[in-house]
Amino acid sequence: MSQGKIVGTDVAGISNSISNIVSEMLICINGKQLPEVHGKICEYKILKQLSIKEKKEGSNLIQHFFQQYKKLTLIKMDPQARHSLIKYLLSIADKSAANGEADALPQSDNLSQILSSRVHSTNGSSLNSLNGNGGVNGGAGYSYNATQSSIGLSQQSLPNYVEATRKLPESRQDIVTNAIYSFTGVQGKYLKKDVVTGRFKLDPLNIKLLTTGQAGMLLRLSELGYYHDRVTKFADITTGFNAMGCIGQALISKLKEELADFHGQVAVLHDEMNSFRKAQMNRFPNRDSELDAADELTLFKLLAWYIKPLHRMQWLTKIADACQMKKGGELASTVYDFLDNGNSMVNKLVEDVLTAICGPLVRMISKWILEGGISDLHSEFFVESLNDVGADRLWHDKFRLRLPMLPKFVPMEMANKILKTGKCINFLREICEMQGVMREREELMKIMDNNVAQFFSYTPDTSWHVAVETCYQQTSKHVLDIMVGPHKLLEHLQGMRRYLLLGQGDFVSILIEHMKDELERPGVDIYAHDLSSMLDAALRCTNAQYDDPEILNHLDVMVQRPFHGDIGWDIISLQYIVQGPLATMLEPTMPTYKLLFKPLWRMKHMEFVLSMKIWKEQMGNAKTLRPINTEIEKASHRLNLFTSEIMHFIHQMQYYVLFEVIECNWVELQKKMQQATALDDILDAHEMFLQTIKVGCFVSSKPNVEHSLEVVYENIIELEKWQSAFYKDCFKELNARQELAKVVEKSEKKGVFGLTNEVILQRDHEAQIFAEKVDIAWRGLEVISSNYEKAVSSFLMALNSSHDPNLQLFGTRLDFNEYYKKRDTNLSKPLTFEHMRMSNVFTLNNRNSRFVIHTPTTNE
Amino acid sequence: MPSEIITLQLGQCGNQIGFEFWKRLCLEHGISPSGVLEDFANDGMDRKDVFFYQADDDHYIPRAVLLDLEPRVINTIMGSAYSKLYNPENVYLSKHGGGAGNNWASGYGQGEKLQEEVFDIIDREADGSDSLEGFILCHSIAGGTGSGMGSFIMERLADRYPKKLIQTFSVFPNQDEISDVVVQPYNSMLTLKRLTTAADSVVVLDNTALNRIACDRLHIQNPSFSQINNLVSTIMSVSTTTLRYPSYMNNNLIGLMAPLIPTPQLHFLMTGYTPLTSDSDINSQQPVNVRKTTVLDVMRRLLQPKNMMVSTGPDKSNHHCYISILNIIQGEVDPTQVHKSLQRIRDRKMAQFIPWGPTSIQVALSRSSPYVQSNHRVSGLMLANHTSICSLFERALNQYDKLRKRGAFLDQFRREDIFKDDLTELDESRETVDCLVQEYAAATREDYMQFSVKRGAGSADSKSEDCRSVTSGGA
Repeated sequence: MSQGKIVGTDVAGISNSISNIVSEMLICINGKQLPEVHGKICEYKILKQLSIKEKKEGSNLIQHFFQQYKKLTLIKMDPQARHSLIKYLLSIADKSAANGEADALPQSDNLSQILSSRVHSTNGSSLNSLNGNGGVNGGAGYSYNATQSSIGLSQQSLPNYVEATRKLPESRQDIVTNAIYSFTGVQGKYLKKDVVTGRFKLDPLNIKLLTTGQAGMLLRLSELGYYHDRVTKFADITTGFNAMGCIGQALISKLKEELADFHGQVAVLHDEMNSFRKAQMNRFPNRDSELDAADELTLFKLLAWYIKPLHRMQWLTKIADACQMKKGGELASTVYDFLDNGNSMVNKLVEDVLTAICGPLVRMISKWILEGGISDLHSEFFVESLNDVGADRLWHDKFRLRLPMLPKFVPMEMANKILKTGKCINFLREICEMQGVMREREELMKIMDNNVAQFFSYTPDTSWHVAVETCYQQTSKHVLDIMVGPHKLLEHLQGMRRYLLLGQGDFVSILIEHMKDELERPGVDIYAHDLSSMLDAALRCTNAQYDDPEILNHLDVMVQRPFHGDIGWDIISLQYIVQGPLATMLEPTMPTYKLLFKPLWRMKHMEFVLSMKIWKEQMGNAKTLRPINTEIEKASHRLNLFTSEIMHFIHQMQYYVLFEVIECNWVELQKKMQQATALDDILDAHEMFLQTIKVGCFVSSKPNVEHSLEVVYENIIELEKWQSAFYKDCFKELNARQELAKVVEKSEKKGVFGLTNEVILQRDHEAQIFAEKVDIAWRGLEVISSNYEKAVSSFLMALNSSHDPNLQLFGTRLDFNEYYKKRDTNLSKPLTFEHMRMSNVFTLNNRNSRFVIHTPTTNE
Repeated sequence: MPSEIITLQLGQCGNQIGFEFWKRLCLEHGISPSGVLEDFANDGMDRKDVFFYQADDDHYIPRAVLLDLEPRVINTIMGSAYSKLYNPENVYLSKHGGGAGNNWASGYGQGEKLQEEVFDIIDREADGSDSLEGFILCHSIAGGTGSGMGSFIMERLADRYPKKLIQTFSVFPNQDEISDVVVQPYNSMLTLKRLTTAADSVVVLDNTALNRIACDRLHIQNPSFSQINNLVSTIMSVSTTTLRYPSYMNNNLIGLMAPLIPTPQLHFLMTGYTPLTSDSDINSQQPVNVRKTTVLDVMRRLLQPKNMMVSTGPDKSNHHCYISILNIIQGEVDPTQVHKSLQRIRDRKMAQFIPWGPTSIQVALSRSSPYVQSNHRVSGLMLANHTSICSLFERALNQYDKLRKRGAFLDQFRREDIFKDDLTELDESRETVDCLVQEYAAATREDYMQFSVKRGAGSADSKSEDCRSVTSGGA
């Protein structure tokens, strides 16, 4: 009875539900939702409905079917799906006709005829009225159905459509097998590969054997096969599309591993399949048994199964795709980018891959920092050893970072540490010839090699990082100890400061004293071997003798090739020859020392000329020339004052350069050297020191500064020439007078009139000429001094207008009593109160920044 | 050895301060009184060979020549612990031992007589050095031997070694007390002339100021000679410290003097030293008033007249100024402090400088001996060329003029060869000193550039007439 009830409600229900389903499909298709899923569901629902309905009597359903048929034809959808649906409808109609009127079914043969005629007759009816019609027809059908059901047709076993799909287990199994094959990229009866895209497509020959659902499912399952193929391709080194180098190989092997894993899983499926088949074979006689239905591998099951491997394969494909043609650190960086994924599965996968590919990299690092070796056939390590750079430049140039190969997750600081560590080891081994200094590092090695995953950890505090850090510290400490200890780096730096930067004042002055003849000589007549003995003598007899002989041995005199007109001063210079490990360290700074030596040497030259020649001569000659003092006073007085003016300049200059620039920075450097923990700290500090001095010594400063300084120096040389000429005249005159006096004395003794008028006249004439000469000389001196003053003024101007507070202060020091300022009004401009105040505030600012006032930039 | 300096000690005063000087040097270099290097002194930072040389047994011998006409002081020295230090060949005592009787002329005359023996010694010393730089002469200008013989030797040295520098440490007499040497003004004047003409640089040690400093700053009521000499030896040793502890600059005598002395005549240097402590302070173990010393403090104090070792008298016209200054700073000095201090001094205009040329305070940072402990972190010596020093000469001129006008005490001068004929030497000396005073006065003015000496009435003419008179005389 219940059956009847159901039927009663159902006739309308069925028609409704079918129409619902169809309209749902319609929506789905129009609404651009994934049609596959819904289509499948719809199909499934239709099948279900139909199978239910079949059990009821539906003789009058024809009309309803027709309506659905019409609807289906109107709906835009996959023709295949439509086709299959229509087929279903027709077959259902067939069956209902066959079962309903068992004997008389004349219409059944021409059902299609009926349908087609109906199509024509109801052609006019609009889609809008479909539902309503459905409802009316449904109502009519209801009564009819009721009668039919009451007849008792429901007792008959009706064909179950779900069962029907299983009707051909062999073909179904085939399809599943085919799907499984496709997982590993193998083509089958139904799925063929597209030659172009490599994607699977249904074999058009066998497409008819498939239901639409099966076809769809097969196609979907075949996607896994596609990705599998891609991964396989990336894992196959013959294709040329894979990652390169050692790390690439690691990636490839990781991919292969993944593939093997996957193949294993697929093999399990195969197994299941086969065992099911076997079971089926055995149970063939009682195949109706439902027991094995659960064990059967269906496309649905595969659909459920394939999600995970698909996902994995997709990501592997993505990664492998991105890594194409990449190598080394770049590859690692690329993979590292994938690590940023919220999906934990993906994250895990990428981490696995990254761990795998970082393996070689980490081994390279540990080999590098523990043994200093690079085995990097594919140049993918981020440390690079330049083969054509000799051992002499090992420290500075031989090794460098290969930045493109630096993985993103290794910070620059870390990379530098790693670089330095290996460099230190190489340095120790090759330059210091210390074998096996770095023993007992297995522990570190173990830590490093076993914790590959920590290499790319987000926080650099893992045991791997600690191990690298320890290694860095140990190695650099070791190198530092060796350099500072046996190789006396600090002493050598001190030596260079003393001798090349003229810190040992007594030595320099004695050296100049010893070499003074050579220094004055034209350049072509100077031979280095003469000089080295003088250097030795100077070293022996000054305080330098207490210095470490090892340091002194490095000191040498160098004679440059003279240009025309060069004298000794221009071409003789001191140099510090460093060898062995020190050379590697200090060689790059040598040009700077050379550059610095030049102005310092020039300054000493000027001081020498000024004090040892000009001033000393003046003092001595003042005593001797006292008899003619009144005549030469005008010039000699001017000379004295001019000399003292220059003397002041040169001494202040020397004081500034030697003390304020070099000494103060040296103190700074020494502090830094004491605190240094690594050799590079010292070398960096040293480099800084040299740079600061370079600025302070006016090397490569503004051209006008250098120029005015040079003019000042030239005037000093000029003065020296002038002075010797002047004194020559003076002495000539003095001698003449003394001669005359002697003659007079002699003749007086004899009591003879010894002098003729001519002699007296000539003497007077000569005295007159001498007076004129003195006058001319005085004018010459005025010219020199005015030139000099101009040069000093422009030098002061440059200092005062400079933005460096040190230079400004040096400028005020040079003009401590404001002598130049009073003479040259231009000079006072930058020295206005305002300016001074500002610069004072500025200098104070460096210490206590209570008042922050920005100094206005003066263009003067 | 390089840049050697030979020290000549003349007369009572000269030998006393010289003795103190060598004592001090020995202490600073870690040399025992017998000349042997102490065990602790081997760090090799210092340069001993400027003032010492080594005998065959490696003991150190000072490059010193001790000269006196009377044996008292030298005997004391030779009787002291330091007797073995000196080379006995370098100690010269006049045979008759009568001294010069505080008479310049006598000293000068004896010097002339003994010159061969004296210059034997000096020449030997000079030959014994690689590149002799100069001589340091210690003497007083008021006595007989130091002034007279000193003057003679200075002249001869300037003749004989024209390329070598002559620096003197000259003790000027105490003006505050009446001297027992009545001819002191004559002696001073005659010596001053030689200091002006023959020496290259004179470090003036004014007994007046030294006594005053001893009273005021060291609180000694009646300062003894040794206390005063202690001050002097401090000045002498510190002023040579850059030679003995070489660093980047001012490592020879010329480098020290050249920037200080602009013209050949203006070479009289004042000194100042701070902080001062006397031996007694240290020995008495009493809580000494130790002041905080910074570079600025030291440099500021050095500019104060009360720390000057020259009593220049009140500067009425207030126009005197510094021609040049060299500060030798010792101790723990932060280099940047020097810089700041100089800036401060300039901003506050603490010192007045000459208007006719550029000048400034030079600073030489020097290491000090590690063997001498000091209570102070920083100490400083100033060597200054200041125009007010001419007041010292003016004073000497005044005193001289007073005596000369009366023609007092000239008899004993006339007895000596140099004044046998006339007293022109005295007048010439006066004139030279007068010129010097003029030049110092001129150096305070802006037009110093155009300066020329205006000699005393007739003297300029007489000079030029000298030439003429020779010729005309011949005619």
